[in-house]
Amino acid sequence: MSDKIALWLGSSAPARSVRWLDGALQAAATFEGRCTVIAAGDQPWLDLAADRAARTKLPSAGVRTNLQLDYLGWAQIAAALAREVGATTVFVEEASRAERWVEVAAIAELLDAAQLGHVIALAPDGAAITATRVMGRTRQILRITGPAVIGVRIAGAPVDDYPTPMPTSQMKKHELSAIGLDPSVLGHRAIPPRTSLEPRKTVERIAELLVVHLAAREDR
Amino acid sequence: MAAVLVHIDLDGDRPNASSLTALAAGRHIASSWGATLYATVLVHDPAHVNPSRAIESPMPKAIALGPIETALTRGGADKIIVALTRDPVAPLWATIGHAWQGVVDRVRPRLVLFGADAPSAVELGPRTAARTGGRLLLRARATGIDEIQLRDRDGGYARAGDGGASVALIGRAERPVPASEPSPIDVVVLAMPGTRDTRIELVSSAPAELVQTTNMLIALGDDVAADPEVATRAKRLAELMNGHVVGSAVAVKAGAVAPDAVVDRTIGLAPELCITVGAIHIDVAGATSVVKITPTGSNRITTVDGALAGSASAMLAELVKKLETT
Repeated sequence: MSDKIALWLGSSAPARSVRWLDGALQAAATFEGRCTVIAAGDQPWLDLAADRAARTKLPSAGVRTNLQLDYLGWAQIAAALAREVGATTVFVEEASRAERWVEVAAIAELLDAAQLGHVIALAPDGAAITATRVMGRTRQILRITGPAVIGVRIAGAPVDDYPTPMPTSQMKKHELSAIGLDPSVLGHRAIPPRTSLEPRKTVERIAELLVVHLAAREDR
Repeated sequence: MAAVLVHIDLDGDRPNASSLTALAAGRHIASSWGATLYATVLVHDPAHVNPSRAIESPMPKAIALGPIETALTRGGADKIIVALTRDPVAPLWATIGHAWQGVVDRVRPRLVLFGADAPSAVELGPRTAARTGGRLLLRARATGIDEIQLRDRDGGYARAGDGGASVALIGRAERPVPASEPSPIDVVVLAMPGTRDTRIELVSSAPAELVQTTNMLIALGDDVAADPEVATRAKRLAELMNGHVVGSAVAVKAGAVAPDAVVDRTIGLAPELCITVGAIHIDVAGATSVVKITPTGSNRITTVDGALAGSASAMLAELVKKLETT
């Protein structure tokens, strides 16, 4: 498969570490000459995405927007960007942000592609792609032979600190309207900005957080 | 009448425990919203004829619902849909997506529920939401007394009066539906059209390494690993949450973690939930949610969802006690 690939880095900077961005970029770079990095969001995030992409010598394209969207809104932008760069397969870096993994299915739905999430290793395999993924306590090896959206959680080297990226000219900028999206229509998928939640600091409040992770009763 | 549709994964000849949790939540919601509660099971039919559209058919002789039907009836389902597929059922959209979507198209539910820890939930849930254009709630729980609504920890919600559809992965062990003698309910058997998506082929499957698991991990710091009370309570907490305890080689030497649970800083962990205890030297930046327990309440991890300061042993004991009684 020599189809083009897009690597969707998402709509905002990693919550904690850029090593997951780097891991996804390094995995994408093994598909020599086929991958374009795509991202959307505010300018500082686009600068960071372009900077990390440039370190792995991957071209990048992005949409600058201040919209705050739900999973399906961002998926529409990712799918439109993927089409714009001519990609039929999309990798999604899904470990940097908690909300990212659900975009895999949404992008796949919009592109009518196969979907695969929680992938921990990727490799070109002739015309196909071999992916290793972990679901719960099972590791699966899968072979992908057509248009697909693949969520990856591949760690790069540990990064304690990284230089603040300079405003970049390396990323090809697109307007929403130029990739076939109407901002006012996209606005229907807007979500109100959430105030940053302070960490819970009492046993009771943390138990409330953990209770939704409790094993179902038969499993305890 | 509105419909609430619950996807039921099977563990052998029994419904998956997490799916039954979702069914219990569905019962509370359907009763509150005046909706019909459908439980759907996808079943491989070796003699499947692959019709051009979904058609009602008799139950194949080779398939016996038996204990599944009993469990779903006891769980409060109003109707059971058995969707027969041509391909063996596996928790992969490429394998079962077409059959599941056929059921969703037929029922046109107002709300679709999955057990958050059921094998198919992460594959089917987001794609179902995307197909219906609905809201997606992760690790949601049913709350309220008279008017039940679903809420997730990020502030998402689904209420009776909302427009549009919603899909939720239920993470809360709901109060079970009162047990009663099951009475016969409608069982609809549908032969679903279509076959698996051949673009994805499962080559092999094996147990994952412990540090690769995607559910829940407790990471022990070297400073607390030698405390047997901490180790015992961490293991109990992990057991309650279907997780594992990991740590460094020091923690293994102290007997606090298993030899196959050694993690160092070069390994990136990306579980859904990570609880760190003590001063860890492990990278948990890929975790969806992080809770830390340290004597001082601070360490190097940024963006945590919870932080407890104080004795690790005492904090773990309190958490375990609280969760055991939930």
